[in-house]
Amino acid sequence: MTVHNIRHGDAFDGGADAVGGRLSRVDGPAKITGAAKYAVEQQLKGLTYAALVESTIASGKVRAIDSKAAEAAPGVLKVLTPDTIISLRSASDWFGTPPPDKPYCPLARDITFSGQHVAAVVAETFEQAVAAAALVKVSYDETPAIVDLSDGKAGDGIPVDAMTKEWGDASAAFASAPVRICAAYNTPREYQAPMEPHGLIARWEGDHLTVWEPSQWLDGMARTYAEWFAVPFENVRLVSPYVGGGFGSKALALSHGAIAASAAKMLGRPVRLVMTRPQTFTSYGGRAATRQTVTIGADRDGMIQSIVHRGVNETSIDGMWVEPLGSVTSIMYATPNFSSKQNVVRVNSVVPGAMRAPGENPSAFGIESAIDELAYEVGIDPLEIRLKNYAEQDPHAKKAWSTRQLREAFAAGAERFGWARRTAEPRSMRDGNQLIGWGVAAGTYPVRRAYGEAMVRILADGSVEVESSSIDMGQGTYTILAQTAAETVGVSADDVVVKLGDSRFPRAGVTGGSRLAGVMTGAVHKAATSALDQLIGLAISDPRSPFHTLQANTLVVANGRIGSPRGDGPDVSIAELLKSIGRDRIEATGDTMPANSTAEDRYKNYTTIAMALPHTEGDYSRHSWCAHFVEVRVDEDFGTVRVSRVVSALDSGRLYNPKLAESQWKGGIIMGIGQALLEEGIVDRRHGRIVNNNLADYLVPTNADVPEIEVISVGIPDLHSSVLGGKGVGELAIVGMAPAIANAVFHATGKRIRDLPITLEKLI
Amino acid sequence: MTSKTTIPVHLDINGQRHTLELEPRVTLLDALRDRLGLTGTKKGCDHGQCGACTVHVDGERVLACLTLAAQAAGRTITTIEGLAREGELHPVQAAFLEQDAFQCGYCTPGQIMSAVACIREGHAGSDEEIREYMAGNLCRCGAYPHIVAAVRQAALEAAS
Amino acid sequence: MRDFSYLRATSVDAARQAAALPGAMLLAGGTTLIDLAKCGVAEPDTLVDITHLKGLDRIEIDERGAIIGALARMGHVADHDDIKSRFPAISEALWQAASAQIRNMATIGGNLMQRTRCPYFRDPSNFSACNKRVSGSGCSAIGGVTRGHAVLGTSDACIAMYPGDLATVLVAFDATVRLGDRHIRVDDFFLLPGTTPDREHAIEPGEMITAIEIPSSAAAHRSTYLKVRDRQSYEFAAASAAVGLELESDGRTIRDLRVALGGVATKPWRARAVEAALKGKVLEPEAVRAASLLAVEGAVDHGANHYKIELAPRVVARAILKMGETA
Repeated sequence: MTVHNIRHGDAFDGGADAVGGRLSRVDGPAKITGAAKYAVEQQLKGLTYAALVESTIASGKVRAIDSKAAEAAPGVLKVLTPDTIISLRSASDWFGTPPPDKPYCPLARDITFSGQHVAAVVAETFEQAVAAAALVKVSYDETPAIVDLSDGKAGDGIPVDAMTKEWGDASAAFASAPVRICAAYNTPREYQAPMEPHGLIARWEGDHLTVWEPSQWLDGMARTYAEWFAVPFENVRLVSPYVGGGFGSKALALSHGAIAASAAKMLGRPVRLVMTRPQTFTSYGGRAATRQTVTIGADRDGMIQSIVHRGVNETSIDGMWVEPLGSVTSIMYATPNFSSKQNVVRVNSVVPGAMRAPGENPSAFGIESAIDELAYEVGIDPLEIRLKNYAEQDPHAKKAWSTRQLREAFAAGAERFGWARRTAEPRSMRDGNQLIGWGVAAGTYPVRRAYGEAMVRILADGSVEVESSSIDMGQGTYTILAQTAAETVGVSADDVVVKLGDSRFPRAGVTGGSRLAGVMTGAVHKAATSALDQLIGLAISDPRSPFHTLQANTLVVANGRIGSPRGDGPDVSIAELLKSIGRDRIEATGDTMPANSTAEDRYKNYTTIAMALPHTEGDYSRHSWCAHFVEVRVDEDFGTVRVSRVVSALDSGRLYNPKLAESQWKGGIIMGIGQALLEEGIVDRRHGRIVNNNLADYLVPTNADVPEIEVISVGIPDLHSSVLGGKGVGELAIVGMAPAIANAVFHATGKRIRDLPITLEKLI
Repeated sequence: MTSKTTIPVHLDINGQRHTLELEPRVTLLDALRDRLGLTGTKKGCDHGQCGACTVHVDGERVLACLTLAAQAAGRTITTIEGLAREGELHPVQAAFLEQDAFQCGYCTPGQIMSAVACIREGHAGSDEEIREYMAGNLCRCGAYPHIVAAVRQAALEAAS
Repeated sequence: MRDFSYLRATSVDAARQAAALPGAMLLAGGTTLIDLAKCGVAEPDTLVDITHLKGLDRIEIDERGAIIGALARMGHVADHDDIKSRFPAISEALWQAASAQIRNMATIGGNLMQRTRCPYFRDPSNFSACNKRVSGSGCSAIGGVTRGHAVLGTSDACIAMYPGDLATVLVAFDATVRLGDRHIRVDDFFLLPGTTPDREHAIEPGEMITAIEIPSSAAAHRSTYLKVRDRQSYEFAAASAAVGLELESDGRTIRDLRVALGGVATKPWRARAVEAALKGKVLEPEAVRAASLLAVEGAVDHGANHYKIELAPRVVARAILKMGETA
């Protein structure tokens, strides 16, 4: 196939069915009719229901658990405590680091955060389990907790040397720079809050475990379950046909999964455990709270001479999460001198985790706010100063960009937005009580690459089946893999059935870091090409084939029919051909692993992230890019900020399906609106507990908070990034949204808000 | 004094009558999902904070998570499974597909049930009105602009 | 949720009698009660379902005023043409409350019984101290996360904010609650926390709200409800104001003014000082802004909720000025 000379990700060689076409979601009909069964919606015979009991202190020890009342409650089958739960083995981490040789207990005796699971109740019905869980009485010996980054006991934290990036002499250059900007930027704890809460159904049959669980990584989670229960990897089956949103939070097997699977084993019955919404705030980590200081030294004409960046993020008492805060800082702008360092600080919280663009997101809030401050300081338009300091190559890796359509993004976005009509002065645009501000910021996300595997089957009726253990949590995997198989084999997308979300299918690595589309389109393309080659080979060589006498070198398949390239000779459907040669199917498994990969390599590739390829591997530095242009309206009296207009231009390389990519971009932009204006986990400092742990108090945007959003694709195919030329889509668009809004708020009000979210009390 | 144990509850759902033996505390949402296998109605928060469990009771949109099943006895209940007629998508469903008004799909049945009612109530007169009257259905994937487009499209179709 | 019995009431009298028994509670729309039962805050033994009672959902309007049946649902009242034209603030308060789904469930009577959103009140398993739940157990909110707590009407025992919108309008326009034959002013129906924050309403066992009555007035006819919040919709107020205005025939002198605040107090808060300061005065922005500051006289903040003291008078002033601009 040809992928040259395609601009802006549009379909080039076909309609909606082809890669690049605007095919509607193939999983759509199931989702809009309620037919789509999500993981915990399986109706199993003998199903029992579990409910969790959580710690109400943030630090200390469980003194005693009184479960008598719960055990006596109607319908209760079992109360699990640290003393009664079966013993598990420790599991390796997601790098595959061998685990410590010690038991693992998912119910805690030593409490390191509020909301830690300490017991669980299993009953015949959901209502009975929940009611009985409330009867479990836990007493504690409490010790003082470190509640957050500003806690006096928190200290400066632990340096993360791997995060240090330095070139030139940043301090000296800063000291001698004529213009100096120095400011601190903070982001709070934020939560993924997918609409589908975490949960699972676990069922044992002998030493085989089936887990129905929303998952961004079936094979990785299966590995963890297998290690916990000391059974072979093959004995664990993860099923996750639809995933109700993840945003980074559903990639790893978590302690609640271990509890449910233990309970199922102990009871000999399937167990369903679904978190309550409040539990989703403490049972796994959201985005870590971060603090950054960004100093920029520049010439009077706005040319950056030095950037010095220091970052800190929260981690837990016994877990390690590094939110790479220098990731955007080190590549967005050209600077001859640079220094970035990072510490992590241990606090009594659940270990933070991945949330849409971990690292890049808060990093961009720092640098994209700071350069805006520099623009005002030197009196240069915020868009112009970004172009002035444009990095022509990766300033850190010192490598060429694979593709970087950021200049094009600035140009296209500015034109559509009408940026040229902006008045420079803060508080210079107004509509009655409303101050109007326009802001711009850029975003970026690295292209994470890995290897994938897929099965493509051409069936007797001419239809095509694709199987992969990858998942669709709304990014459109079902659809783009149908398009890839349809285009590669030469059938209509209607004739392709994509099966995902079962670890028995050919394996896939993590769906995270915006890597899946690039990985899986490559794998399906390869498997489909191989199936097609087999089909054509048989058509030419099988004596029963109508093409056998044609002596052709090759044949072509289009619209489900096979014929010669010149159009002479027979023209038969795939079904007719298969019938004539007596085959009921043609099957090919394809993977993009390096040749000579061993079984061990494959296992490692699909169940850990250790084999992911660095985005700067080889000669190029690979990233997606975007530019956001935002209008806000700030009520002068009330301090309320409403985003009234967004135009974003984005470079995700080639788009496999622009209709779905645009949706994902807008989703990232909207999550960015929430981050900028609403979202903050608020800690009660006396209890070390998040008190707004629900969807009425942890505010995510509603429909009424979101204006019309225009997205423009400026990407070009990037074959250094993926087989078919795409870069990343899912994470990109949230990066830079919060600073674009904060910059617009400054333009509207003259107030620079460096602590997210920008709530009304910060502006009145 | 009635008994605290189970009581018979007759529910009229999507034109079908179901009789269940339920504890009075069982919500309509859990009755649909856990007892009847009607899992199209979703549980997102269980506290009336997200709208994922929106169903129609006597033709009006309500939250199944804050409705006791026993309370709904004697009323007419419609869930997402009952919206399409004889395999034909409801115009709102078709508009959601065409406008790509969903991603993960978890809030989608609630959005669609809410949208059907929003149009019927006469609250789909402008984009601004649609946004306000669809604000009780959270969507973390951020499909809102496309939901507005789908409701607008279906409302225009209904009006013509 | 604890197990309970379910009883479907067949008449108002039967409902009252059943609900008078210990452990029994009336169940209307359920949007507060079922929510709080799931939180472990409400632990009824029996729920008496009154939603199937006939005739209690009527909305009657004549020149004397409006009588809204206790089981009329919020959404229906908000959309009622005569309510919209003659009591616009009521319609505006209702459509800005909660979500369309909740408004279809929640009744007017139930709305008056809505409980606070204080996170400490709502989480008994983590915060055992709450004088509203258990008298004398203490207040977890004081010294805690207070961004959403009241600045007016608080006591040492409780700073929980009253979260409703409708009742804010009702106190502005001197509405009364009908508890069968007993009628009580809405302003008196809601109690200050004082030393007994567990007692929120002047309602006795065996009593049931049957209707609310709002007298007609020129001010109610020219009224608005302005709600300011972090999120554009589906959220409780950071501060809100119900305002009604009647001008003299000169079109600029204030004859009657009604002002009440929401989102800032422990009960719906009538701001009589603002009304008194402006009655008889010419309506002009400076005077309105100055008088609006009186709305928060005596306010006490608990740190994070200080902004409400700044915000509330601005909301009041904006609402009055907006009414002044309407012809």
